[in-house]
Amino acid sequence: MKTVSAFRVSRRSLMKSGAALAGAAALGGTFPNIVRAQGSGTLRVLLAGDPFYYAIEGLKDQFQQETGITLEIEAISTEALQARLTSSFISNEPDADVISVDQMWLGQYLESKWILPLNEFIKADSDTAIDDFIPEVLYSMNTWRGQVGTLPVASYGQMVLYRKDFVDEAGIKIPEDGSWTWSDYLDTVKALHGKSFGGTTMSGTVLAGQQPAPVVHMFTQLAASMGTRWFKSFPTGSAWDFTPTVDSPENREALKLFLELYKLSPAESVGYNWFDAGMRFAKGDIGMFYWWTPYAYLCRKDGYMTGKDSVVADKLGIVRLPKAPDHHQVVSLGGHSLGIAGNTGKREAAWQFVKWATSAKTQKAMALYDKYGYQFSDFARPSLYADPDLLKIYPYLPGQIGDIRAGNGKIVRPPCPVYTTLEGIYGLNLNKVLTGAMTPEACLSETSTFFETILKGNFLIPYQQASYDDTLEATKALMASLA
Amino acid sequence: MTVALSLAASPRRRRLPAALPWLLIAPSVLLLLALILFPLVFALKNSFYFWNLQMSPVPMGYIGADNYRMAFSASFFLGALRTTVLMTLVGTAVEFLLGLGIALLLLRNLRGMRLTRVLLIMPTTIAPIVVGFLFRYMYDPNGGLIPWLLQSAGIPLPAAGLLGSSSTALWAVLFADVWQWTPFFAIVLYAALLAVPEDVLEAARLDGASAFKLLTHIKLPLIRKTALIVVMLRFMQLFNTFDLVVVLTKGGPGASTRTLGYSLYQAGLVDFNIGLASAMTWLIVIVVNAIIGLFVFFAFRDLD
Repeated sequence: MKTVSAFRVSRRSLMKSGAALAGAAALGGTFPNIVRAQGSGTLRVLLAGDPFYYAIEGLKDQFQQETGITLEIEAISTEALQARLTSSFISNEPDADVISVDQMWLGQYLESKWILPLNEFIKADSDTAIDDFIPEVLYSMNTWRGQVGTLPVASYGQMVLYRKDFVDEAGIKIPEDGSWTWSDYLDTVKALHGKSFGGTTMSGTVLAGQQPAPVVHMFTQLAASMGTRWFKSFPTGSAWDFTPTVDSPENREALKLFLELYKLSPAESVGYNWFDAGMRFAKGDIGMFYWWTPYAYLCRKDGYMTGKDSVVADKLGIVRLPKAPDHHQVVSLGGHSLGIAGNTGKREAAWQFVKWATSAKTQKAMALYDKYGYQFSDFARPSLYADPDLLKIYPYLPGQIGDIRAGNGKIVRPPCPVYTTLEGIYGLNLNKVLTGAMTPEACLSETSTFFETILKGNFLIPYQQASYDDTLEATKALMASLA
Repeated sequence: MTVALSLAASPRRRRLPAALPWLLIAPSVLLLLALILFPLVFALKNSFYFWNLQMSPVPMGYIGADNYRMAFSASFFLGALRTTVLMTLVGTAVEFLLGLGIALLLLRNLRGMRLTRVLLIMPTTIAPIVVGFLFRYMYDPNGGLIPWLLQSAGIPLPAAGLLGSSSTALWAVLFADVWQWTPFFAIVLYAALLAVPEDVLEAARLDGASAFKLLTHIKLPLIRKTALIVVMLRFMQLFNTFDLVVVLTKGGPGASTRTLGYSLYQAGLVDFNIGLASAMTWLIVIVVNAIIGLFVFFAFRDLD
């Protein structure tokens, strides 16, 4: 049905196309890329169904007007996306031209040639403004072995969200600049827990305890901030060594703290996924929690893209994450990126879309898109964090960029081969700790043993392929070379 | 007219080659065999290879029975097998007994039974994934219908909710399945009971047989074939439970609701370990066929 309707020629679309063609022809050499993309017909875009999708879907007419390329956008869950894309590439049945690629799949997709490296596209196209990306984001989400495989369309860090009126009434001061420790955070949560506020007994915090991904996403932030690393030497180092290091004193300490936090959360949060945890906070009976930055705007609403304000909409405090003393702060970076499918026949049109969706102009338009309330502030470009129009709507942006600049997605959740298998084991055991079926010590010991078995079984210990010293500096140098 | 036609047709029928019926059904048989056998043979071959899509898009080498060893050495497989067998046995038994009870009630011409028959079929027409979402809301500890009903009846609930506690999550998942599939048993058994000859029942009643005796000595033996087949079908369906688990618990808390179907999905479509998933597929095929084989052997041996 979609395909049929996409090809239906109305008078308006005919006029639009005519105007776009005439404009492009008149401007000629000024916009060579736009002209090249003309006539590419319909571009199929397959995205993960996160908030950025709604904004892109809402703005797709702009892209069509600018390029004459019709968009067919589809959004599905991340798990379904991975399954569908893998099936498409394995069977060599082309599916979409532009795809959402999770940072954990990047190496696999690039090495299997399922997506095209973008280095040459970027180099040939100064409109990309590659130097206006936050290097920590590109490093964490988009580069693999010296190649840019994708560009970020929605970049997330993690921050602390709290209910201002409740915290104020409790007489607690929360530092705006991140000058606090995880033990201060725990003390604050303890101080808030069980207090009555507006006739409700409040929980100190809320966790996302569901296995495997949500609990791993939440715990690893705390663990990395407290000094935990997954492997002996990855992704930096001249020789990669995947010997697991999760069974360490700092990780045991982090897990005990995480368990303490669970005891100060609603008990049912053992089964909460990302959104459940966020929406529980939005219901108003939670003091504070730390989570992915999109929840800074998602929690202002009472449901997903409902457009209706939540009870905490105008009572939301957002501050930077606590640190651990004696440890360099590391913030988890995640989000969504766009790549060009290796089996597409519309490479140039696909690149036009990737460039358009990740450009400062479109990202700003996405942030100002107001169909469901303002529901996008996940920028990867520093210029947008200083934009006065955006700061008016999203006043927490200075704190957000502070945390993102302290980000290192490759440390918090390293994108090693077989990551999802490791995450499955880790998530299961972390969840068992929350249910009381396992002690923190047993969890980390068993997880480490399983990691080792899996990594050996997949020929990653010892690592016999060529290593790549994957540092932030290397990404900065790559960006400079492509600019 | 009929006689004339059959007389005219009979010499022609005799002239048909004996192999023609075989030739006519051969395409269907071959297609069916290909559709059943190809995936199984493909999975069998892959189960002896190291093929993890996270590592390489093509198989990386022959590794003998290592995938089978890995499936057995990983505690989740045996744990999932235990959970699945428990869920399947209890689920099938409960659904059968409740379904039989409802079918017997339907036989009585009570008021509203027509409407009940129509309504009964509805849960089975809903996709399991939708049933999962429905029950997720109904199990919500903060205002869900089921916790509210249980608490109103004075039944204590776990603090983490019915889906959040290892001791109740499996039964909560099973309850959703029972809600959906008991009507299936009821409708099929009701249809079978309608076929029980009334004169046999009447004769038994005249001999003074009680309602219980009528059920155990006449009705159940007469609907036995139907009952066995419907039990067998549901057993196989329940053994592959996946949708409800994904929506309601994702196998948790811990591994308390991790079924074989969910473990297979995790290995194949999340971890993309095609070799391991193929080995697990074959282990499941063997287990299910062994159980069904035993069931058929014992249940059908004295039936013609």
